[in-house]
Amino acid sequence: MENLSLLQPATAVPARKRSKWRLAFEQRYLFLMSLPFVIWLFVFSYLPLWGWTMAFQKFKPGRTFGEQQWVGLDNFVQLFREPHFYMVLRNTLAMSFMGLAVGYTIPVVFAILLNEIRWSPFKRSIQTISYLPHFVSWVVVAGIITKMLSTDGGIVNEILLALNLIDQPIQFMAKGEWFWGIVTMSDLWKEMGWNSIIFLAAISGIDNEQYEAAKVDGASRLRRMWHITLPGIRPTLMVMLILSIGWLTSIGFEKQYLLGNSLVQDYSEVLDLYVLNYGINLGRYSFGTAIGIVNSLVAITLLLLSNRIFKRITNESVI
Amino acid sequence: MRMQRKINPGELAFETALYLFMIVVGITTLYPFLNVLAISLNDSTDSVRGGIYLVPRIFTWDNYGQIFTYSNLLVAFQNSVLRTVIGTIVGVFSSAMVAYVLSRKDFIARKPVSLVFVLTLYFSGGLIPMYMLMRDLHLINSFWVYILPGIVNAWNIFVIRSYMDGLPYSLQESAKIDGASDLTIFFRIILPLCKPVLATIALFVAVGQWNSWFDTFIYNSSAQHLSTLQYELMKILANTTAGASSADAARAGDPSVAARVSPESIRAAITIVATLPILTIYPFLQKYFVSGLTLGAVKS
Amino acid sequence: MRKKSKLLALSMASVMVILSACTGSNSGGNASEGNEANAGANGGSPEPITLTMFSADMNTNYENMKSDVGKKITELTGVKLEIDYPVGDPKQKISLMAASNEYPDLIFAKNEVNMLVEAGGLIDLAPLIEEYGPNIKKLYGDYLKRLRWSKDDPSIYFLGAYGVNEVQWKPKDGFMLQHDVVKELGYPEIKTVKDFENAIRAYLEKHPTIDGQPTIGLSLLADDWRIAQSVTNPAVFSTGGSDDGEWYIDETTQKPVVHFTRPEEKEYFKWLNHMYNSGLIDPESFVQKYDQYKAKIASGRVLGLIDSEWQFREPMQALRQAGKDERTYGMYPVTLNETFQNRNFQSPGYSGGVGVAISKDAKDPVRAIKFLDWLCSDEAQILNNWGVEGIHYTIQDGKRVISKEEMAKRTTDPEYGKKTGIGVYLYPFPEYGAGVTDATGQTYKIENEQQIIDSYSDVEKEVLAGYGAKMWKDLYPQSSEFPVKPWGSAWQINIPQDTDGAITMQKSLELLRKRVPEMIMAKPEQFDGLWDSFQAELDKAGVHELEKQFEGLLKDKIALFND
Repeated sequence: MENLSLLQPATAVPARKRSKWRLAFEQRYLFLMSLPFVIWLFVFSYLPLWGWTMAFQKFKPGRTFGEQQWVGLDNFVQLFREPHFYMVLRNTLAMSFMGLAVGYTIPVVFAILLNEIRWSPFKRSIQTISYLPHFVSWVVVAGIITKMLSTDGGIVNEILLALNLIDQPIQFMAKGEWFWGIVTMSDLWKEMGWNSIIFLAAISGIDNEQYEAAKVDGASRLRRMWHITLPGIRPTLMVMLILSIGWLTSIGFEKQYLLGNSLVQDYSEVLDLYVLNYGINLGRYSFGTAIGIVNSLVAITLLLLSNRIFKRITNESVI
Repeated sequence: MRMQRKINPGELAFETALYLFMIVVGITTLYPFLNVLAISLNDSTDSVRGGIYLVPRIFTWDNYGQIFTYSNLLVAFQNSVLRTVIGTIVGVFSSAMVAYVLSRKDFIARKPVSLVFVLTLYFSGGLIPMYMLMRDLHLINSFWVYILPGIVNAWNIFVIRSYMDGLPYSLQESAKIDGASDLTIFFRIILPLCKPVLATIALFVAVGQWNSWFDTFIYNSSAQHLSTLQYELMKILANTTAGASSADAARAGDPSVAARVSPESIRAAITIVATLPILTIYPFLQKYFVSGLTLGAVKS
Repeated sequence: MRKKSKLLALSMASVMVILSACTGSNSGGNASEGNEANAGANGGSPEPITLTMFSADMNTNYENMKSDVGKKITELTGVKLEIDYPVGDPKQKISLMAASNEYPDLIFAKNEVNMLVEAGGLIDLAPLIEEYGPNIKKLYGDYLKRLRWSKDDPSIYFLGAYGVNEVQWKPKDGFMLQHDVVKELGYPEIKTVKDFENAIRAYLEKHPTIDGQPTIGLSLLADDWRIAQSVTNPAVFSTGGSDDGEWYIDETTQKPVVHFTRPEEKEYFKWLNHMYNSGLIDPESFVQKYDQYKAKIASGRVLGLIDSEWQFREPMQALRQAGKDERTYGMYPVTLNETFQNRNFQSPGYSGGVGVAISKDAKDPVRAIKFLDWLCSDEAQILNNWGVEGIHYTIQDGKRVISKEEMAKRTTDPEYGKKTGIGVYLYPFPEYGAGVTDATGQTYKIENEQQIIDSYSDVEKEVLAGYGAKMWKDLYPQSSEFPVKPWGSAWQINIPQDTDGAITMQKSLELLRKRVPEMIMAKPEQFDGLWDSFQAELDKAGVHELEKQFEGLLKDKIALFND
């Protein structure tokens, strides 16, 4: 009780007049609420970073730390000298930029449109259905997509033939230059509903009174979407965008691996698959770790850069 | 029905287009799931022929029967439920707490703490150091390895924080003037207002917990009583795949032992078994983020 | 004020949750340890012991030793096996074992055994076998020396898996034609790729559709690693090579070459290119996924296949279930031309390059080796193959007999192995191969030639009769025509992972998967140019250095196997 009464006068006085320590004391609850988790984070996320030393060794699992052979920057030099690395990097960046452009904006639009539906049972059903593909594994989805695009009775070719748009079935999956598009669209199909949930939640945080007021003013639907909904979810939009930009180089390899085939390999091989094939699968843990470090450094640079840019433009930021 | 005001033509066109679009989205996204359902209910040998779309050709429950003969499934299911429930409650609560602290623009350690959190999203020490850490913390062959490492997740924190940033600051300010402490503000004002985003994060954490099998594989694979549903399902799938068509099956297999069902049917049945429990909790969470909020109610 | 204290209590509670989670973790750990300690406490007459084991290969038939066979094993030996069959990449688990230096009693590490040997995680079994392993010696016979690690380190680190002295009754790979094709054409000779091509062409012209769908001449499969089975391995098999993975080894000079650099194989791929341009190869061959391939075969409209038998087992079952026996396939030993012989039945001898090891952490290595020795005994081999006497088989006139009902269960019940435990403790443990007989003259395994013949469909018997054969293997050059390969199987010789050779191999395989489909789908006049540039790329990737490295490894292996 005494503790609590101490708090009273402190909050009443304007903050800038007091010293830092005083302020820290006032904010002791904020420290209490966050410091345990910072320690937690240190243990589970920062401590294992000693593993990065592997990148400077020729690591073998059976040896103790002292017995490992140190090789300096050899693994990094090897990586940057490998022409193959630049090809997988190109593919990775191409697909992640396309994924960001489509896989980020469309779910936002979808969420906003869904919010415009007034008939609640319909809205709820569509929302539920739309995220179902998220639970279907990529193996299954890739199977469905290759069958749809097949030249042997695939539905897409059948439709195009029936409309007389083509006279020979198109080998969609054999064309390297189409592969990025196919991956992006498949990903959109699978994850649109799921990714839109976060924006829906943000939209439901907007005060209904704002909409009521706008309605009274006679604002049209589009205007309300533009002037109330979008600004209302701006913090979420920006944070999601900044966090995603940091992930541009790590997009996994599952979908590319399952949708790809030997004819489109020059377009389908991505960084994470490269790490698997030339790192872990060959027992080259050090090489894999070196790629991981490069990847992290790129990611953090991208993150800090985009954070700064968006802070300047929109005043929203992560840090 | 509810639209009592007169509707202008533009509005009508918009409504029609909107509903049509949503119906198309609904059909295209429902298809894969229905397809999987149909395959899971079709005779497995027949499924190899392909061409099953929305209805099974030769109906059977055998694929499910095959899954439910595995003995460890019940224990695994219990563990999955337990880790999902505990993991979600702890994860959401702690993330919300940190998110609130970081949403306070006046918090003096805001920047460094934010940075410390956000960086963790972009690096990892790798599998071997992680394993050694868990071993040193005595978390190998322990249920808590499912919960502890994931207690705070930076992504969840920043999503929640961004939502909090959207809330009017005036609410907090007036509470402060009334003499409320930071804790009070968090519990009394912020948490109730954050229901939509908390429900969303709860969904994400729950699905993540429910679907994960890698931690079982790495840390708990030798402790059968700690197995999880997804891990057991992975086992069934791997076994079917290996048994159906691999060089080792040909080399080592006893040809007198009958072949199991095909991987495609088992995979389909597994997808359904793994997804249904999560789908049943969905409506309870959904109600929080599909309907709007009226702040007025909280203000008073 | 009252509210505030309540909130304080709440936040305290939240801290408590976290703290109790911490302590909970300890108790969780203890609980599981306790279970392990207690597990061995109940057992039969020999002193009970629990042996923990890691297996890199899945086996969901494992029944915690609760089946008839499992209980019998515990009763006879006192051993309870606790086997961890992880799903996922076993390599990760094994590297963690090595990194943390903690091992279970027994380990089946499969291809990652190098890592454990290097880490010093395994013990040398040779002295233990000398002292406690009469049955092990009997089972492996002369091949025991093939289990030695290397010339420099003659330790035995594991007991080889896979049947020892196995007799091969079925061809593993070949060129397949639907029974209806050869029947209708009057059983033409199918010896060379030209014969194969002519048969497909003749039938395709007569039957442009089957069941209303367009007929497909030959469908190939290139889905990821499966390309080896259907596209690249057949190139070496049809040009006189035997199954040595990516290698072709000249028998007289014993010089290894990466097989897809051979000019003979250029001719094979050229033939595929010709087939493609004649419209006889399914244009989807190089993009289709495995399940699409299976679906096409199961539809009965693919006339020919080039593949391994186990790749199309499922669609064959589907065809038989649908009553389309005439659409299932016969296997023919096709070669590029008459100068080559198909070596499918050439014996590698025994080279079991993988198997069960005892770790340095084993509680009781003597007990463990005694158990493994028991598994090699006649008693155990018969128990694991035939089951428990009086339950799964009976003895009549000194012979083991499986009743009709029991046999029906064996072949139709997919859960048979799990329910009875039969077969569960064979692979990856040591076992006699099919066809090896015990003291009574009966085989250790239940399978025999008659059983295979009985499983043929009527059409199949008719077609075989048409070719004057009883079994498919009769069409192939016989095992006795070839010497036993002195190096075993070259695909079991591992290229050390941290050498440039391993990277070169990975690069070459990647090139192979990319270039061969391109080459086959190209216009005929472009083929030679594409082949040359493919060879140039391989050269640049370092295949010839790799060949030199491998030659050394091969020499060592031959010396080790035959001294």
